[in-house]
Amino acid sequence: MSDLNPSARSLEHPILWVAVIAGTLGAIVLLNTIAWLTLPLVLAVVFYYLVEPLLQRMQLAGATPNQALGIFLGAAILVTAIASVTILPAMLNGLSEFQNNLPDYWDRLQMVMRNNLLLMEDKFHFAKKAKLAEAFQNQIDRFASTSGKEHIADVAIFLLHWLPSLLLVPFLAFFFLRDGAAVHRLVLRAVPNAFFEKTLILFDRLNRQMHAYFRGMLGLTLLDTVTLGLGLWFLGHGPGIFGFRDAMVLGLICAVFAWVPYIGSALGGLVAVATCAVKAPQAGWLMLAVVVLFLLVRMLDEFVYTPMTVGRALRMHPLITVMMIFTGGMLGGVYGLLLAMPLLGVFSVLGQMFGEIWFDPRLRARHQARILLEKRLASKDLEV
Amino acid sequence: MNLLHFFRPPPLDPMLQVVSGASIFRDCTRSELETLRLHLHERHFLEGEIVFDEGEEGEGMYVVITGKLKAVRKGMLKKKTLGEIGPGESFGEMAMLGASPRVATVVATEPTTVLAMFRPELLRLAEGRPRLGYKIAMGVARVLETRMRQTADGHLEKSLTA
Repeated sequence: MSDLNPSARSLEHPILWVAVIAGTLGAIVLLNTIAWLTLPLVLAVVFYYLVEPLLQRMQLAGATPNQALGIFLGAAILVTAIASVTILPAMLNGLSEFQNNLPDYWDRLQMVMRNNLLLMEDKFHFAKKAKLAEAFQNQIDRFASTSGKEHIADVAIFLLHWLPSLLLVPFLAFFFLRDGAAVHRLVLRAVPNAFFEKTLILFDRLNRQMHAYFRGMLGLTLLDTVTLGLGLWFLGHGPGIFGFRDAMVLGLICAVFAWVPYIGSALGGLVAVATCAVKAPQAGWLMLAVVVLFLLVRMLDEFVYTPMTVGRALRMHPLITVMMIFTGGMLGGVYGLLLAMPLLGVFSVLGQMFGEIWFDPRLRARHQARILLEKRLASKDLEV
Repeated sequence: MNLLHFFRPPPLDPMLQVVSGASIFRDCTRSELETLRLHLHERHFLEGEIVFDEGEEGEGMYVVITGKLKAVRKGMLKKKTLGEIGPGESFGEMAMLGASPRVATVVATEPTTVLAMFRPELLRLAEGRPRLGYKIAMGVARVLETRMRQTADGHLEKSLTA
């Protein structure tokens, strides 16, 4: 079990901890610098870790690596074709409906915010003195008149910039799946004999941790989506606020937000409450019920779902987690927020790997002996 | 004649031919050996180079393809050579059963090529192809049984001659 839980083992040398944190932050900065490549790269890696066990099963059943990849690609193309005929039109309809309702939702959200601020002004003297509602309205008007258009242009440019890079995802994933094993062998071939056994075992540990993490995150997202979706549907279907599909979509959005530990859950909750405020501004009880639902799901996540899915493999001390997320977010924006924890997990295993190999004097001595043997062999015919 | 030649499978990889002669893998079919090849790591050792040390935590086993090695153990006063290992023979099999300390140091006595297989890979293989996993596990048990018998016979011989 300890093999599955590398982070539970201590990194014995404090310098290694510093190196692990520095490495993680350095990787975040690097990924943010090549941001246009980071998104497709990360998605391709996730895809690789989700699909690779399936290909391995096919290979163990007797298929060659190329046959297994071919079968998978054929099935994937078939599923994509069927989905684009059946699901895509429904999705586009839903999006167009959302786009039509957007101005109405925007007005309602403004109204709810304004009403709440007016209520605050009634209750609290400082709020009245600061004219919160008026200031808010001014900000909204300014945003709508000038910055709103600029932001829409920014979003359009952002999408134009990013969408082509997403085309790299299947391309990268294909080569990861096709050549991943060969690259792995190539890397291992470069490891000196003395360190080989340890390196192989630690690579295996790293690989299993990554598999477990991505599979676990997928399972966690599914469980969160179903729980939140059913909860929101249960709360909202009576007054006719949420249909089943709407509740599930909102559940999925909130579950995706929860990929960022701690902060993501809170953001997801805010999104759900804002949606309730937009859909039913008069139903204050609903917003309260949604907050309670989110707290319950958070507890379920903490005590039931996470141990069931992601396990405790990547669990660090909460203080380190939060510090790393915030620092990651500061250095790498959204990527930093999302990648801080998986990268910290990878670097802690690498640090541990380096520590176990490099600080073993016997292994180093054996490596030195090999170098001496090589030298002696190379200069054998030169001896006088 | 030519048609028959067309249907005949290509010759087995020379390394796999040696592996198929090893006691552990002798029951494996050609397709099983080809699957196994994906999990074997080729390593080259120089004369005098240590493959693993006595007491070190073992994680895998090796099959000798070419070259020669010797197994030595620390004695009270000097090192004792347990035996020589040549092509087609395997060593370090106990590590396939669990992470136990190596019982001897293995050193290459001439330039040697080995194929290494590691426990996590065997476990994964056994999960996907239980029949192959069973054959290898039986092979490991067979080799260990032979070694234990040899050791017991050696002890008995010693006590009878004493």
